[in-house]
Amino acid sequence: MAVISTTLPSEKLWTGGKSPFNVEYGKLMMWYFLMSDAFTFGAFLISYGTIRFSSNGWPDPNEVFRSFPLAPEGIHAPLVFVSIMTFILIISSVTMVLAVHEGHKMNKSGVVNNLILTIIGGIAFLSCQAWEWSHLYSEGAWWGSNPFLNADGSQSSTNFTNYFFTITGFHGFHVLSGVVINIVMLIMTLLDKFEQRGHYLMIEKAGLYWHFVDLVWVFVFTCFYLI
Amino acid sequence: MSNTTALAEAHDNSTTKEIWKITAYLSILTIIELALGFWMMGLNSDSARFTVKGVIVILMIAKAFYIVAYFMHLKHEVRNLIMTIIVPLFLFVWFITAFLYEGNSYKNLRNTYDPYKKAQSSIKVSNSESSEHKVHSE
Amino acid sequence: MSSTFSDHSSATLVAPHLLDDTHHEHHHETFISKYVFSMDHKMIAKQFLVTGIFWAVLGGLMSVLFRLQLGYPDASFPWLEDILGKWAKGGHITPEAYYALVTTHGTVLVFFVLTAGLSGTFANFLIPLQIGARDMASPFMNMLSFWFFFLAGLVMLSSIFVETGPFSGGWTAYPPLSALREASPGSKSGMDLWIISMALFVVSSLLGGLNYIATVLNMRTKGMSMTRLPLTIWALFFTAVLGVLSFPVLFSGFILLIFDRNFGTSFYLSDIYVNGVGALPNEGGSAILYQHLFWFLGHPEVYIILLPAMGMVSEILSTNARKPIFGYMAMIGSMFAIAILAFLVWAHHMFVTGLNPFLGSIFVLLTLLIAVPSAIKVFNWLTTLWRGNIRFTPGMLFSIGFVSLFISGGLTGIWLGNSALDIHLHDTYFVIAHFHIVMGVASMFGMFAGIYHWYPKMFGRYLNNTLAYIHFWITFLGAYLIFWPMHYEGLAGMPRRYYDYSIWESFKQFSDLNRFISTVAMIVFAVQLLFIANFFYSMFKGRKLLTQNPWNSNTLEWTTPINPGHGNWEGDIPEVYRWAYDYGKDGTEFISQVTPIGSSESTH
Repeated sequence: MAVISTTLPSEKLWTGGKSPFNVEYGKLMMWYFLMSDAFTFGAFLISYGTIRFSSNGWPDPNEVFRSFPLAPEGIHAPLVFVSIMTFILIISSVTMVLAVHEGHKMNKSGVVNNLILTIIGGIAFLSCQAWEWSHLYSEGAWWGSNPFLNADGSQSSTNFTNYFFTITGFHGFHVLSGVVINIVMLIMTLLDKFEQRGHYLMIEKAGLYWHFVDLVWVFVFTCFYLI
Repeated sequence: MSNTTALAEAHDNSTTKEIWKITAYLSILTIIELALGFWMMGLNSDSARFTVKGVIVILMIAKAFYIVAYFMHLKHEVRNLIMTIIVPLFLFVWFITAFLYEGNSYKNLRNTYDPYKKAQSSIKVSNSESSEHKVHSE
Repeated sequence: MSSTFSDHSSATLVAPHLLDDTHHEHHHETFISKYVFSMDHKMIAKQFLVTGIFWAVLGGLMSVLFRLQLGYPDASFPWLEDILGKWAKGGHITPEAYYALVTTHGTVLVFFVLTAGLSGTFANFLIPLQIGARDMASPFMNMLSFWFFFLAGLVMLSSIFVETGPFSGGWTAYPPLSALREASPGSKSGMDLWIISMALFVVSSLLGGLNYIATVLNMRTKGMSMTRLPLTIWALFFTAVLGVLSFPVLFSGFILLIFDRNFGTSFYLSDIYVNGVGALPNEGGSAILYQHLFWFLGHPEVYIILLPAMGMVSEILSTNARKPIFGYMAMIGSMFAIAILAFLVWAHHMFVTGLNPFLGSIFVLLTLLIAVPSAIKVFNWLTTLWRGNIRFTPGMLFSIGFVSLFISGGLTGIWLGNSALDIHLHDTYFVIAHFHIVMGVASMFGMFAGIYHWYPKMFGRYLNNTLAYIHFWITFLGAYLIFWPMHYEGLAGMPRRYYDYSIWESFKQFSDLNRFISTVAMIVFAVQLLFIANFFYSMFKGRKLLTQNPWNSNTLEWTTPINPGHGNWEGDIPEVYRWAYDYGKDGTEFISQVTPIGSSESTH
C-alpha cells in the first residue's frame, strides 16, 4: 500500500521530466477548470449575498418552497421537495464515485451500471427542477416578477426570483452538461474505448465534474433554501 | 502489481465502505441543516437567527469538505496538489467579506439618506392584495 | 486507497510528449493545418501576435481620431466624413462617435492587444520552448483558444459597423449605460455584440490559461525544476493563474448584465428615470455591484497585462547586461505577492462610488502594499543593470524603457491609491496618465522588447536595427511627451472622457497643451506603422539568422534549430543542469542551461 507521495521525496517530484503532482495533465486541467468555475458560482452567490445584505427584507424560503407534486391544495410541505432533490444529487454522486472506483478495477460492467444510475439520477434531478420552476412560474414567479412578500410582510423586490432563477438555472445547466458528459462516457465505455486505452481516467475526470456539480448544489441549496 | 487478490479485495472493501460512510455523513448533515432551517424561521430574535445561520454555514462547509476530500478524492492526492487547490480558495475570504460588508453599508446609506425608501420598505402588504397567485401579466 | 491510484496511473504519469522523445516524424502538412488550424504552439503564438498587431493598429488609430477631436475641437476635417460617414458629419467627430471610439479603444487595447496579443503570443511561444517541451499539454485546446479569440475579435469588429454604432459607455461597461438599451445609441445592438465578444474572449483566455498552467507544472524537461525556470515562465505562469481565477468573476457579472438587458431583471438597476421613457420599474439592484464584479477581474487584469512584460524584461535585461538577474528568488516572491494582492485591492477603483469609507481604508492599505513587491522588482532590475556589460540591442532598449515607465507610472499609483487624494484625482487626466504609463505603454514596451528579442527565434531572421532604434527613441520620448503633461491637466481637475474642453472656462488654458499631445500622438502612431513595416518586411527579407543562439543566451529556446519544426528539438529534449542566469560566471561569458555543472565550478 505504498503511497507515491511518501515514496518519492517532494524535491524529486519537482525536478522536471514528470508531473509534480503525479497526475496527468487532463486531470490537472479539470481541477483548475473547476477552480475557475468555483469562482463563477462564487461570484453569483456573493452577488446574491450582496444584494440581500443591501435589502431591507427578504422572503422566507419556508413560505416559498413549500409545494409538492400531486399534493392537494392547501397542504404545505416546506423544504420537503428540495430535500428530495438534494438526496437525489447526493446519491448520484455516490454512484459516480462507484463508477470511478469500478474503473480503477477495470471492471467494465460495474462502470456501465453505475454510470447508468448516475445518468438516471441526473435526469431525475433535472426533472424535479423543471417541476419546481414550472410550479413557481404558475405562482407568478419569473425573472423580473416576484409574487412573494418579504418575511416581515412588506413588498419584496424582484431580486429574490431574479437570483433564484439565474443561479439555479446556471446550476441546472451544469447538471445538464454533466448528464451529457456522462452519456458520452457511457457510450465510450460500451464501445470499449477505455478497455483499449488500458485505463478509465476519462471517467475519473467526468466524475470530478459531476461531484463539482453536487458540491455547487450544497452551496446553492444552503443559500437559497435554508438561510 | 504483485498484490494478492486478498489484499486487493480487502482494499476494495475498505474503499466502498468509506464511500458509504461519507454518504451517511452527508445525509445526516443535510437532515440537520434542514431541521435547523425549518426551525430557524420561527425564531423571533435576529441574533438567534444569525447564530443558526452561522451553524448552517459551518455544516455546509463540512459537507463541501466531505465531497471534495472523499468523492473528489482530493484527500488522497499529493500534498502540493491539495495546496494549489485549497490556498487560492482563501481569496474567497476577502471576496465575501468585502462584498457583504459593502452591501450592508449600501443598505444603511440608503436607509439614512432616503427616508422615503425606508418608509416604503416597512409598509406591510395585506394578504388579500398580495399577489401570491397572480397570473403572469405578459 | 492510494495503491489503486498508483497502479493505474503509473503508465500515464509522464506526459505523452515527454515519452515520445524519439518520435519526431515530419507528417504531411497542408496549408490549412500548418498556417490556419495549426496545433503547433509556435504558429499559434504568431497567429496571436499578428491578430494582436491588427487590433493594436485599429485601437491606436481610434486614439488618433479622438485625439484629433481633443486637440482640434474647432477644426473640421472633411476626410473624416469620407471614412466615418455619419459619425463625422461635416468633418467633426460626433459626440456619439467620440465615446464609441474611446470605449472601443480601451476594450481593444486592454483585452485584445495587451492580454491576448501579449500573453497569448509569448505564453504560447515561450512556455514550451523555455521549459523544454515539444508543445503545450493540449495543443488542440490551444488552437481553440486562438480561434475563440479570433471569433471574439470578429464580433467586436462587426459591432463597429452596426447602425447604432459600437458600445459607447466606456471600456468598463458600467450599468446603467450598458444595461439599458434606451440609455444611448451605443447601448443598443453595439452593446449586445460587445458582451458576446467579451464572453468569447473569456472562454479563449480560460482555455489558454488552463493549458499554460498544466504545461508549466507537468511538462518541464528533466532537470528543469521550478527554481531553474526563466523568470518569463514564472511571470506567464502567474498571469495564467490570475486569468483563470478572475475572468470567471467577470463572466458572472456579464451574465447578470445580459439578464438585466434582456430579461427584465434588476440586478444592477434601481431608481432610474430615462428621458423620453419615464421611470423604470426596476427596483432593488445596485449599479455598484457590477463595478465590484468588474474590478474583481479588472484589477488582476492589470497584472495579467503587466506580469508577462515584467517576466520578459527580466530575462532580456539579464541576457543583455551579461549578468545574472539580481535576486531571482525575490523576483519570484514579489511576483507571487503581486498575484495575491491583485485579488485584494479591486475597490481602489471605486473610492468615490459611495464605497464604505472604513472598507475603503482597508483597500488603501492593501493597495499601498503593492508598492513593496513592485519596488523590489524595480531595484532588482536596476541592480541587474548596475555595472553590467550592457549590449544596447533594441530589445534591451525597450526593456530599459519599460523599467523607466514602470517607475514613473508606478509612483503616481501611490497617489491614486490613497482614498483621500482620489477624491480630487479620480476620473481626471491624472488617472489617464497613470494607467497609460504604468500599464499601457509599459506593457507595450515589454511586448516590443519581447518581439525584438525573440523575433529571430520566431522567423529565423532579424528585424532591421536602424528602424528599430528610430522606433524606440520616438516611441519612448513620445510616450512621455503624451502622458506626462496629462498629470498637470489632471491635477488642475480636468476630467476624463469629455468631448470638448474648449467650452469650459477652467480648461481652456490647456487647449495648446492638448494640441501638442495630439500632435505627438500622431507622430508616435506613425512610427508604430514603421515598426509594422519592419516586422512584415523582415519576415521575408530580413537578415538571415546564421547561428542558433544570436544573443548568446542561456535559455532552452536557443538550443533548438534555427527554424524549429513542430516538436521543437530534433532528437531528444535536452536535459537541464542549472538555472537560466549563469552569465559571467567564473569568467565564462554565458553557460547554457544544458551544460552540466563542471567539477571546478563555483556554487552560487
